[in-house]
Amino acid sequence: MTDYLFFLLLGSAAGAIIAGFGLGLLITHQGSGVVNFAFGAMATWAGYVYADLRRGAYPFPIPGLPERYHFAQDVGFWPAMLLAMLTAAALGLLVHLVIFRPLTQAPALANIVASIGLVIVIISLIDRRFADNAGLRVGPILPREPVTIMADVTVPRDGLWLAALVIAIAAALWVIQRFTRLGLVIRAAAENEKGAVLLGYSPALLAAATFVGASVLGAFIVIMASPMIQLSSTVFTFAFLIPALGAAMVGRFRSIWPTVVTGLAIGMVQSSFTKLQGDFSWFPQYGARDGLPFIIIIGAMILLGERLPDRSAVSTWKLPAVPAAKVNALTVVVPIATAAVALLLLGPLWRGAIMTSLIGIVLSLSLVVLTGFGGQTSLAQMAFAGVAGFTLSKLAIEWNVPFPIAPILASLVAMVFGVIVGLPALRVRGTNLAIVTLAGGVAITEFVFKNPKYVGDVSTGGAQIPNPELFGWDLGLILGDQASRPIFGIFLLVIASILALAVSNIRRSSSGRRMLATRSNERAASAAGIDVARVKLQVFAVSSFIAGLGGCLIAYRFGSVSESSFGTIASLTVLAVAYLGGITCVSGAVTAGLLATSGVAFYGLTQATGSVGQWEALIGGVLLIVMAVANPEGIAGGIRARLAARSSAGVIV
Amino acid sequence: MALLEARGLTVTYGGVRANDAINLDCAAGALVGLIGPNGAGKTTFIDAITGFTPTSEGSVTFDGRDITRAGPSARARAGLTRTFQSLELFEDLTVRDNLLAAAEWPAWHALFIDVIAPRRRAARAADRVDQILDMMDLTDLADRLPAELSHGRRRLISVARAFAADPQLVLLDEPAAGLDTDESRALGVLLRKVVDGGMTLLLVDHDMGLVLDVCDHINVIDFGSVIASAPPAAIRNDRAVIEAYLGTRHKDGDQ
Repeated sequence: MTDYLFFLLLGSAAGAIIAGFGLGLLITHQGSGVVNFAFGAMATWAGYVYADLRRGAYPFPIPGLPERYHFAQDVGFWPAMLLAMLTAAALGLLVHLVIFRPLTQAPALANIVASIGLVIVIISLIDRRFADNAGLRVGPILPREPVTIMADVTVPRDGLWLAALVIAIAAALWVIQRFTRLGLVIRAAAENEKGAVLLGYSPALLAAATFVGASVLGAFIVIMASPMIQLSSTVFTFAFLIPALGAAMVGRFRSIWPTVVTGLAIGMVQSSFTKLQGDFSWFPQYGARDGLPFIIIIGAMILLGERLPDRSAVSTWKLPAVPAAKVNALTVVVPIATAAVALLLLGPLWRGAIMTSLIGIVLSLSLVVLTGFGGQTSLAQMAFAGVAGFTLSKLAIEWNVPFPIAPILASLVAMVFGVIVGLPALRVRGTNLAIVTLAGGVAITEFVFKNPKYVGDVSTGGAQIPNPELFGWDLGLILGDQASRPIFGIFLLVIASILALAVSNIRRSSSGRRMLATRSNERAASAAGIDVARVKLQVFAVSSFIAGLGGCLIAYRFGSVSESSFGTIASLTVLAVAYLGGITCVSGAVTAGLLATSGVAFYGLTQATGSVGQWEALIGGVLLIVMAVANPEGIAGGIRARLAARSSAGVIV
Repeated sequence: MALLEARGLTVTYGGVRANDAINLDCAAGALVGLIGPNGAGKTTFIDAITGFTPTSEGSVTFDGRDITRAGPSARARAGLTRTFQSLELFEDLTVRDNLLAAAEWPAWHALFIDVIAPRRRAARAADRVDQILDMMDLTDLADRLPAELSHGRRRLISVARAFAADPQLVLLDEPAAGLDTDESRALGVLLRKVVDGGMTLLLVDHDMGLVLDVCDHINVIDFGSVIASAPPAAIRNDRAVIEAYLGTRHKDGDQ
């Protein structure tokens, strides 16, 4: 038993980080109603600032400026700490002013998209500014001599220190929340913003204060933890953020102690998994760590369900309007013919960009059905795609299932995963659903994609995929010494066109009407005899099936599948780009495909301007934020709104 | 046996008995009124009958079947629909699609056919929707979005949507609220016409003129209990009703 105590205590550092992040998410949500998915990323940047200062430099985040200001040497602990905290405070304020405040009245999905943009920006900044060694080592801050708790249990002291610090912070926050006027007003504003206005407080100011406070808190946690956990652009961004979201949900984004206790417990229990894996052969070797937050989040959903706060669900979880589908020669034949000609005539680089865009269109279509028609959210779309990709490899290589059948079966498997992850949608919506699907996607990534049993040996390029072949025709991208065969592009084009037509058919059919009715108003839909639960599951099923097909196309393109194509960031990016293109219609999905990273728009831009090159991801992220703030209803929606305003169709009858 | 029979129907919110052992019948083919002062429990009653709020005691029998435990959509498919005070239209759908969404109940696998042949729709549902649009004078607006229309039209659409599935019984929650006198009178004529066509209606409204004019039978509730149940003529002179609406007469009054 003492072994378990050892591992539990060893997990106190991770638990403290999760609990501290949970508190940060809670504060932000109380003050502004926003669930800030970029919280971990913001804190990570401050952590890097501290680490860099201890090397004697301050990193500037803006491309084009000098990379950093160099001090003569290590600036010392306190100056570094102070500067890093100031940076965090400034970042919190900036993020509030530039991103979330303008989005107060925007659809909640616009908030999610903007925070995804922010995550992408920060990750790519870290990858650029710390390109040489992102895994910075920081010298000890907290005392770390081992401490002997009891016989045979000796652990480093610093994890316990960090836990104690987080508990102290929680206590301080609790005192503020319970006994000060500021705490009262923030709680009042969380219940009812108008109430806070009537009390004479500006909700915008409160939101700004909580953003700054949370950002500083996050930075403090990351800096304190950085001697124990090596910095990297993703570890604090997602690995600790997702369990923190789970902890905050248990506290209903409101109660401090349940959040802290859950956070500490997650970290400590996760740590004991190492021991469990050694002791029990049945204990899963992969995915248990990341499965735990998913299970906790699901549990919180089921037990707390309706009581989870979602201010956005009540007032602002509105989605862009859905235009009627227009299917005619101009909208169908012209784009397809253009793409076909371009695929056949242009060079391999352009062809590659078009292929990327075509796959992007398929993935965006999956979100048009899910979000545009069904009003649901998924941050796990690429996980579904990946499930199909890996299944395809198994089917085609090990069981010799032939081409058209194998990808369809593989996509059906993805569909099963989609429906399972979508089950919570029967109880929760909006931002909470986004959190569930995010955790579900990560659980799939860890449990399935990182398990060599399913995905083969990564060192040999992962799971292999044979070329698609129809009636003896090889449709693959690479055959013999031909490296970029146009026939594969045509193959992608055919699939994308069929799916686009299918999706617009759904829009025009009775099934589509029921999806939109459910999206518009669930109460009224059930009063009209529509089985809302069935419609939601249908929407998840169709969407994950299409995403699965997208995953198969990616697999065919690269001839193999590996975890890196289907990670969490990929899922977030797909949703963000689909939303920007216009998530409610097929033309929006086409726009999104063109905008996709390395797609036609990016390649064209690179050709036109010389090189965007190493800043591509960062510029993409910035554009995402700018467009989300400027066009909360997506580009296609923005254009439509402008056209509608011009023809002034708003005549009241 | 009446089409709808509520027996001992009780709904509690916390300690409040919003509906207290209500017994109420709707005979097939009748236009039944349900009136009462604000907060009497009229909307709660509609919610309980249509499955939107759980009942703590009592039973609801519809067309001979006990539906007390059925969900809202199952009740709708059994032929029991409603309107909402707050309309709750499908704002993303055109007027015609609002009605169509309520009129067609395809099986779950219809999705597979829809993907290939979207325009194929049940001719019966489409005809029925066209009929209702025509009857309610909404045909010209069929392709507009609800948000573009006036309040009166929107209210009509919510009523039309409840009729769209050709239900046996429709519960109308204040369909005349916010309508002017002419519109209200036209609505009364329309409701009568629908009832004469064989449908059964339960009308909740504050427009006493409308209710007394068109209903065959009126139930009055106050503080969650039925205090009167009689034809309109008798209701006009019922002491309990007058007291509920105007307050208790002074004891030494003109008795």
